[in-house]
Amino acid sequence: MFKVTFAFEDGSVVETYANAGDNLLEIAREANVAIDAPCSGNASCGKCRVQLKSGELNSKKTLHIEDEEYNSGWRLACVSTVCADVTVLVPDIASAYKSRMKVADLSSKEEIAIFEKAKRDIEFTGIVLNNSLDVVEVSMDPPSLDDTMPDNERLTRALRKFLNIKRVRIPYAVLKKLPDVLRDNNYQVKCILRTTPNDMFVYDIYGMEEHVKVCGLAVDIGTTTISAVIINMESGEILAKGSAGNGQIRYGADVINRIIEQQKPGGKKKLQDAVIKETINPMIREMCKSAGISKHQIYRMCVASNTTMNHLFAGINADPLRMEPYIPAFFKTNSLFASDVGIDINQDAHIIVAPNIGSYVGGDITAGTLVSMIWNRPEFSLFIDLGTNGELVFGNSDFMMSCACSAGPAFEGGDISCGMRATDGAIEACTIDKDTMEPTYRIVGAPGTKPIGLCGSGIIDVISELFITGIINPKGKFVREGRRVRHDQYGMGSYVLAFEEEAGSVKDVEITEVDIDNFIRAKGAIFSAIRTMLSSLDFDVSMIDDVYVAGGIGSGINMKNAVNIGMFPDIPLDKFHYIGNSSLTGAYLMLLSTKAEQKTYELASNMTYMELSTVPTYMDEFVGACFIPHTDTTLFPGVMEQMQQ
Amino acid sequence: MPFNQKPQKFNAKINTVTIGSGDKTVALGGNSTFPFYSFDAPTENTAKVGVEITDMGLEGVSEGIKAYYEGATTMADIAKKAAAMEGADFVALVLEGGDPNGENKSVDELIAIVKEVADAVDCPLVVEGCKNVEKDAELLPKVAEVLQGRNVLILAEKEENYKAIGAAAGLAYNQIVGAESAVDINLAKQLNVVTTQLGVNAQKIVMNIGSACAGYGYEYVVSTMDRIKGAALGQNDNMLQMPIITPVASETWGVKEASASEADMPEWGPQDERGIDMEIMTAAADLAAGSDAVILRHPQSVATISKMIKALA
Repeated sequence: MFKVTFAFEDGSVVETYANAGDNLLEIAREANVAIDAPCSGNASCGKCRVQLKSGELNSKKTLHIEDEEYNSGWRLACVSTVCADVTVLVPDIASAYKSRMKVADLSSKEEIAIFEKAKRDIEFTGIVLNNSLDVVEVSMDPPSLDDTMPDNERLTRALRKFLNIKRVRIPYAVLKKLPDVLRDNNYQVKCILRTTPNDMFVYDIYGMEEHVKVCGLAVDIGTTTISAVIINMESGEILAKGSAGNGQIRYGADVINRIIEQQKPGGKKKLQDAVIKETINPMIREMCKSAGISKHQIYRMCVASNTTMNHLFAGINADPLRMEPYIPAFFKTNSLFASDVGIDINQDAHIIVAPNIGSYVGGDITAGTLVSMIWNRPEFSLFIDLGTNGELVFGNSDFMMSCACSAGPAFEGGDISCGMRATDGAIEACTIDKDTMEPTYRIVGAPGTKPIGLCGSGIIDVISELFITGIINPKGKFVREGRRVRHDQYGMGSYVLAFEEEAGSVKDVEITEVDIDNFIRAKGAIFSAIRTMLSSLDFDVSMIDDVYVAGGIGSGINMKNAVNIGMFPDIPLDKFHYIGNSSLTGAYLMLLSTKAEQKTYELASNMTYMELSTVPTYMDEFVGACFIPHTDTTLFPGVMEQMQQ
Repeated sequence: MPFNQKPQKFNAKINTVTIGSGDKTVALGGNSTFPFYSFDAPTENTAKVGVEITDMGLEGVSEGIKAYYEGATTMADIAKKAAAMEGADFVALVLEGGDPNGENKSVDELIAIVKEVADAVDCPLVVEGCKNVEKDAELLPKVAEVLQGRNVLILAEKEENYKAIGAAAGLAYNQIVGAESAVDINLAKQLNVVTTQLGVNAQKIVMNIGSACAGYGYEYVVSTMDRIKGAALGQNDNMLQMPIITPVASETWGVKEASASEADMPEWGPQDERGIDMEIMTAAADLAAGSDAVILRHPQSVATISKMIKALA
């Protein structure tokens, strides 16, 4: 056995032991050391860099590490194996993805306003905001030697009489506490019920005097980030809000790598544990603490997520999703309960899953569509969810069409050498001076935070600015020279946003031609999907009345810059609206309102799914869009005008 | 009802690009109709045919070609015979020996050959690199430099090396820039855009949009050329109005139908005949799809294709 020490930039260390030949990335995963490995250890992404401080590692040289860097100890964890006692430095950028769990205090009015607006919008369409959870007060005659009915029948009979519903179900959890609660409260109790026209389910029973809160949990499971709210099921009030990185990230950044991982022996359990035990359950604990409730008071949960994520959440084999003919195990299901998957809330709580439309358009989109309200307006709206997969819905109250394109992880900072999620240290906005080529930027985090990388909205800004200032050409290649532009030994250009001494990490923060190329492909995928979908309907972009942009790219997204680089169509900027995490807001509405839940199922079944890979012109559109702003400049008159100035 | 011809008129035309100097020049492009649609509008310039020779001399060429060049011992002799070929409009010298994965001849060695050929003939010249992007980035600017004043077409810059080659040929030494892309209308246009942004005059660019031998995924070539001409004329897209030149010989003489010897494939018949057939079929299709010039190797192909062009003009 050898001792392996992971040292962090803040001085802390994690020590563990390993056998000769053990893989360093695997050791880190087991020791709970966060090292970002979007490619899941294939040596293809080059992000799991660590620096050898003492001892030795058996480590292959890869293209990702330059000679000079190799000599100063940089290694890729995924190709390194242990052969002696060793100490490695894990740079901040390698673990920056692991956003600390954050439970919002909800003091921010904007946070609440999004949910309030969604509630108002949905009520405006005539959908009532109530659900099948109720608190009823029941009084029973105490038993006597003449009235020897057992407790459960006594309760059943009282409830039947009260609500005129034949079938009453009392689960074990209630049965267990029933004798004490009845006797302690002199047979005057409150019951928490779910009632349907022919069925009644008793979730819980309390004394008449007890203050009872009926809570629900809405969760958006993103491939990268998970966010959740705990709400009061009666009023819709938000009691707590939290977010955390999806614990599955260490098994790969994209859904395909995770599907492959879950196919390995024990894989389904590993991935389910990563999302539920490691991520959602600790979030629930923190949020319950912050809201001052008990986890048993959460009687319903709603999950909105892409198809792969809801399969992995439920522990269901997701492999068929990636294999032709791409058939999921379910579009919608109502047979999921908290105890089935080990979610730490009331064990009998029902889990609602926002319905999927196909393998690559999932519940996050149907929930988002509900929120976007495009189904309730005669105007033509485009809803775009920017994630690892880009999903689009276009339509109005008469029809809706959806498609998905693979944008890759670039919007969330993946596939970008200094990319990171929008957490502390991420550059989220940037301008570049035309003459001096010096950057000015805004960084996520407390004032004084030093830059360590770029998040999605920052990358859009940087590329747009580099293009407008003529530092890069429309192909994303560097054409101007200066202090901040440099070329490596292979001639690949890069722009340095922060030199090592200005940066908050041990490396320069820079954007390379390869990064730009990756991002151009991501934005090209989005734009060509928009064009392809619209032209299949014989529409063009001028006919779009509104564009709703959702996703974790961040509220910092600069729509003008997104148009400049040709990601979004060149239409008036006031048509663009950023609607935040619409998947979570949708889950919230589905949780709160049974009618909204039904509406979402209806929307899902009414949406036409278009498979872009079967459209012959998509590839042409895509190549045309892989240029800044576009090969066909007539599509971007506003941008061209700006360039001329 | 009598037939009433409705000409398809375009308000756009393909650029006219002249190569060569002195009295010996050829003009490529200039038309405002689809290929050979002389019934729609008069043809400005007919398509042109070039004769391919390489710095490797007669190594590896078929018997029929060897026979034509019989007696030629130097590159100068070969070039003269090529220029004299029936139907030839220009000579295309391919510097394939420069390929680092092949002979890897030095730039100096190749430049000497370029000079020898250029001095031997006064017809318009096209000089092709070795296809290796790094080597071409070094070699072709030198070619452009030594041939100053000859107004030659330098084939070709690609996306990876357009800055070095485009700047040398198009800006520094005032030659014609060949822009090579890989059978995709958007990639062809993108290269033209970045080349003109470098400062190269759009009227001094000729495209090689990539080619294939007929039967080898050739449908893509036809579709791409067809759409480029459609966009250039129909949509007046000035970033696609450059004439197209297609090096046919290097594609067709590499496929097994043309390269297998008669000894190996007796049932296929004589090698020369097969090679000529492949070359003529491919060149005819390229011209019909939109090429303004083709580069061929066999004297019989050159004669046949130039006859075809005249007959259809």
